[in-house]
Amino acid sequence: MKARIGLEIHVQLSEAGTKLFCNCDSEYRRYRPNENVCPVCLGLPGALPVPGKRPVELALAAALALNCEPPRALVFTRKHYFYPDLPKNYQITQFEKVGGSPVCTGGYLDYLSPDDWEWRRVRIRRINLEEDPGRTSYEGSILSSRYAYVDYNRSGVPLLEIVTEPDLKSPRDARVMVEYLLLTLEYLGATNPRLEGVFRVDANVSLEGGERVEIKNIGSTLDVERALRYEINRQRLVLERGGKVERETRHWDAERGVTKPLRYKEEEEEYLYFPDPDLPPVLITRDLLEAAREKVAEWSPRRVYEEILGLGVKREVAWSITSVPAAARTYLAGVKSGGDPGILARIVGVDLKGELREQGRDPYNPGNWPEPGKLAELSRLVAKGEYTYDAVKGLVLPKLAANPEAPLEELLPEKVEDLEPLVEEVLKEEEKAVKDYLGGKKKALNYLVGAVMRKARKRALDPRRARELLLKRLEAMKTGA
Amino acid sequence: MHRTPGIADLLYAYANGDMDPVEHAARVLEEIRRWEPKVNAFISLEDPELVLEAAEDAGKRWKRGEARPLEGILVGVKDNISTSFLPTTAASRMLDPYVPPYNATVVDRLLERGAIIHGKLNLDEFAMGSTGEFSAFGPTRNPWSLDRVPGGSSSGSGACLAYAGCDGALGSDTGGSVRLPAAYTATVGLKPTYGLVSRRGLIPYGNSLEQISPMARSVRDVALLLEAIAGWDPGDATSLRTEAPSLSGLKPAEPGEVRVCVPRGLPELAEEPVRKAFYSLLERLESEGASVGEVEMRGVERALPAYYTIALAEAASNLARYDGTLYPMRGESGEYWRYIAQARGRGFGFEVKKRILMGVYVLSEGYRDEYYVAATRLRRLVRDEVLRATRGCILATPASPVMPPRLGERIGDPLKLYAMDAYTVIANLAGVPALVQPAGFHEGLPIGVQFMAGRLGEPQLIRLGLLVEELTGLAEVVAG
Repeated sequence: MKARIGLEIHVQLSEAGTKLFCNCDSEYRRYRPNENVCPVCLGLPGALPVPGKRPVELALAAALALNCEPPRALVFTRKHYFYPDLPKNYQITQFEKVGGSPVCTGGYLDYLSPDDWEWRRVRIRRINLEEDPGRTSYEGSILSSRYAYVDYNRSGVPLLEIVTEPDLKSPRDARVMVEYLLLTLEYLGATNPRLEGVFRVDANVSLEGGERVEIKNIGSTLDVERALRYEINRQRLVLERGGKVERETRHWDAERGVTKPLRYKEEEEEYLYFPDPDLPPVLITRDLLEAAREKVAEWSPRRVYEEILGLGVKREVAWSITSVPAAARTYLAGVKSGGDPGILARIVGVDLKGELREQGRDPYNPGNWPEPGKLAELSRLVAKGEYTYDAVKGLVLPKLAANPEAPLEELLPEKVEDLEPLVEEVLKEEEKAVKDYLGGKKKALNYLVGAVMRKARKRALDPRRARELLLKRLEAMKTGA
Repeated sequence: MHRTPGIADLLYAYANGDMDPVEHAARVLEEIRRWEPKVNAFISLEDPELVLEAAEDAGKRWKRGEARPLEGILVGVKDNISTSFLPTTAASRMLDPYVPPYNATVVDRLLERGAIIHGKLNLDEFAMGSTGEFSAFGPTRNPWSLDRVPGGSSSGSGACLAYAGCDGALGSDTGGSVRLPAAYTATVGLKPTYGLVSRRGLIPYGNSLEQISPMARSVRDVALLLEAIAGWDPGDATSLRTEAPSLSGLKPAEPGEVRVCVPRGLPELAEEPVRKAFYSLLERLESEGASVGEVEMRGVERALPAYYTIALAEAASNLARYDGTLYPMRGESGEYWRYIAQARGRGFGFEVKKRILMGVYVLSEGYRDEYYVAATRLRRLVRDEVLRATRGCILATPASPVMPPRLGERIGDPLKLYAMDAYTVIANLAGVPALVQPAGFHEGLPIGVQFMAGRLGEPQLIRLGLLVEELTGLAEVVAG
């Protein structure tokens, strides 16, 4: 049974610096409750919203990155509903009717599926730039709590509401799209997708022969896949038993891994939309547009991925680099300063990234990456044969991950300049292996190479040279015997 | 009736050492003590000791030659304009006693220029009314006749000027809210061009229509106040990026250069004494050499419903925030919807509730096009007509179709109440400046005239107003 999936994705512009209409911080998580507030985001009477420059620029850049035709002006609209953490009891958002003009009314996103390395396309129906409400919390459960605690630190944080057409084919497809979309926004410097609660997804899904069901409250990309998989199975079972899938809104319970019907009846929605009279249309000037276009053109996942592929890097590794913007910046800067593209790709995309993860250091944090020139130098040393990749991987990268500031000279292992004494020692100590080799067991040679390397301890040596030396001596022993 | 010095006179007297700000402040406080029990112009008053101290500081500054433009002038501020040092209630139980954590931009500007804010003035609750009777703190009475209303919604602003309880006042004008009080109290009110004065800190009623507006007892004084508060404010996205206009040095217009026109048919909506005073003033102007004509204006007769539709839609939205969470009036139920209903049920007066319901109605799905959207279309028509007409002349109308009503006379019938704004709402719909000043008296009651100019035509209005003042001799008059 074919599924049709459309998503509504809310993403905070957490990196905007300011809230949408005041100068409070867009990253509210570091504050104690109700510390990141002012008269504007508290909605105090007489306080007036003034559109922030950065949030508007980022929203426009996002719209262009999603291939939208930019509007001539942004119009903000009031959407009314009573909710304890919505301080004005209306949200300033956008609306395509009643004189409204959202930041995007039609675009598309081409996203890469790392499952089959195909580019797929999802159409974007609309993007609204709007303010996030505050948060309500309870002691224990909502029913037992004596109070509702309202924290307005989040109130007014700029939020993009991105609505797709129902073009997505499977739960996995939906997840992959969301991940790519978030990466695109991260590349714009608009959001940090790893912050708690920075995005929320509502999903619409219908099967052939059934009505559309909306699932609310999905908080991670993994849960996009899980929730949709659960819901599609649920609907399939209903249809297979000859039942009817009713149009309804369900709630994703991540803990129990199920979607549940919302208890309230769906009512006719009445939001009393009208353009906010405190906010004149924000004209999209040529300068604004040019700045946004440049931002989108110079730095996007697709551009970076294709550039890395063009350097002859395997797509898995290229994608591994692309998917972490700090890695991508490091890699491309490293190549630019003369690094070996292939070796540098392995360092950045595979082993140093893995080592950072291993050591619990966030690879998304640019501060955790060594200076690109340093990695470029490392890749050149390997390319020239000064060190083996394995020596760099085993001896240098762990230290570099622990301390990206460490100077390369201190990290590079001492090289064993004179291999012969080591080889002699091994031949003396490993009598059995030598005998095996001379007796025709070719595999014993590998063991002997390993033994030489163990002898070198933390110093670097070239295993090919060790092998050559060993072979020469063993052949001599053969003929000598 | 007698005369009392206005702002310009006081500044002159302070500068020459003919009067001391303390002496003056004491006199004003004495008027307040005498009149307030009867008039109820103020909702809250600053501690008299603090007022006298501020006046003393002002006196020192004058002596040291460090006086600022409004040094030692006592300005009352309508209680829907935020002050961090006095409660700001908008005359609603909902906000009693809310003390904002910030000052409105205009308040900061007054204080920076040396004005002393000695109290917060009564108004119709959330500025919704034309008589001053819808205040949770009781109605304000008209000092010229205590059984009459002083006009609204800036009722306290007009009344305190009329009994010399303040030298100047700030009101707000959404559909005539400083101009009706000016007409009914023989004072002057100027609603500026939309965006000329920052609204930051003004508790909103109809955001797209209203402006904080100066009131005083003379045209010159209103110019001084407007000059002090006008100018671009980065904290208000609707404020115009213009320099504050230079107004206080303007000279009266020469009659020969004045062109006044009357929208055809409009004065005929007014009661006889109003009409008579209006036409006799125009005749006077004409006899001095001004050109007086008529102008055809489409749509203005429907300005009133367009105005109320838009104002109430915006009001319903603005007032949604008062839900018992952040403001003084609370509910008690543990159930969210009931809690809100309790807070709103107790906090809002009847007129406010009525206007919220009408505002919600005109924005509702299925009715929005018929009402709200249609009203915005009509508004554009009116605006275009006004802008066209004011290119060639200054529009003149009566300020109010009726004489100051008796208390209780108008508020029973909403249509009669709203009809009081028929002349004033036009300028709010069009965003143009409008000046109301005394035209004459009838049986001891003041009658006002209104002039409207094109956008940023304040200098023209001031110059015409100064000329009219010369002709009528009606400046700086107070009751009693």
